[in-house]
Amino acid sequence: MNKSNSDIKEVGSVLLEIGALLMSSGASSNRVRLTVDRLSETYGYKTEMLVTNRALMLTVTHPNITEHFSRVKRTSPHGVNFRLVSGISRMSWRVVDEKWDISQIKDELKRLTALPHYNRLLVLTIVALAGASFCRLFGGNVIEMAVSFVATFIGLFVRQKTHKLGYNMYLCVFFASLSASLISGLSIKLGMSNTLEHSFATSVLFLVPGVPFINAFTDLIDGNILNGLVRGMNGLLVAFMIALGLLCAMFIYQF
Amino acid sequence: MCHVYLSVLGMDWLLLEKGIWFGFAALGFAILFNVPGRTLVIIWLLAAMGGLTKIIFLNYGVNVILSSFAGASLIGFASIPMAHYKHTPPLIFSIPALIPMVPGAFAYRTMLGLMNLTVIPTNESYSQILNETVSNGFKTLFIVMTLAVGASIPMLVTRKSSAKQLRIKVKKP
Repeated sequence: MNKSNSDIKEVGSVLLEIGALLMSSGASSNRVRLTVDRLSETYGYKTEMLVTNRALMLTVTHPNITEHFSRVKRTSPHGVNFRLVSGISRMSWRVVDEKWDISQIKDELKRLTALPHYNRLLVLTIVALAGASFCRLFGGNVIEMAVSFVATFIGLFVRQKTHKLGYNMYLCVFFASLSASLISGLSIKLGMSNTLEHSFATSVLFLVPGVPFINAFTDLIDGNILNGLVRGMNGLLVAFMIALGLLCAMFIYQF
Repeated sequence: MCHVYLSVLGMDWLLLEKGIWFGFAALGFAILFNVPGRTLVIIWLLAAMGGLTKIIFLNYGVNVILSSFAGASLIGFASIPMAHYKHTPPLIFSIPALIPMVPGAFAYRTMLGLMNLTVIPTNESYSQILNETVSNGFKTLFIVMTLAVGASIPMLVTRKSSAKQLRIKVKKP
């Protein structure tokens, strides 16, 4: 095997990119570490990695190469994207089984990051249907479900719009929560329903930070205490912003 | 006939209907998280199964935390064979399917209670609000914890690091 210094640089930077993509699209810290280890082992490199929420630190060594690769990469705070997590996981096993080389991995990464999201109208409709489902689970009737549907639809639309305008991500959640609860609160003011919990509380449930919370505890169980705490705190902030939006709507309507 | 079975289990149709809504709630989050299209039907099924399990346990008077744990671990175990079937990591199935079980109602009441606690106490109801808020808060915390444990329980029990190494054997008749 004649591996050179440029090889280790190439492998290292690809591994870092994969780690950063996984981290920002909602994988747990353990998964990031496992995937990077699995890939580097197939090429005979040894990796040591520090995984934190906003940056990755990676050192790659090889017994036959005198130089080593060591670099820090910031992870961009993109939204959850399980299509990417699934694609990278599939790719990592194909790299092991079919002995891919680095250029093939690069091509596949380019393909995976370019994969389209669901159609925006479809996302809005299905998430609004989920809001109506939550309302039904809480015991709401058909009218309350319809209110929850509309409120969730507009709430998510506001969230996407403010996100596109570049507002702070917690502020986006606040705007979404406020607009969703203003709409569902209006229905109560108009006398369409008299239980506050049904449509009012369920219209903001699409904002629930489920992935941060579940990943937080997954990290804690795996022993990545620091990452778990950071993710949990992030989830708490989102939850607080949802509550703030609800509270503002309640103040406006004097509930 | 079906009705007889249901009444033996002590349920009515309203409970079964909730399974459907659990499924749709999970589907919304699955679309929001941009899961691959081939997994959507299975996420709906898993969420409905997990949600029904939780409701059946609750119906028998089991604690809400243990009921959630039962539902979550069912989703966790069921996500492994599905991961093999659809060639995708199990978390793609388990996380969207678990999110409808995140205790939104308890979290909502906790936050509302906390806000109420900031008002200067003028009557005896203050201690009642405090009690309810603490109770709801801990319920929220423990339920979310059990959801995460339930999702990772197959890995923890079998001491494997990846679902690829984990084959659930099905005996052929």
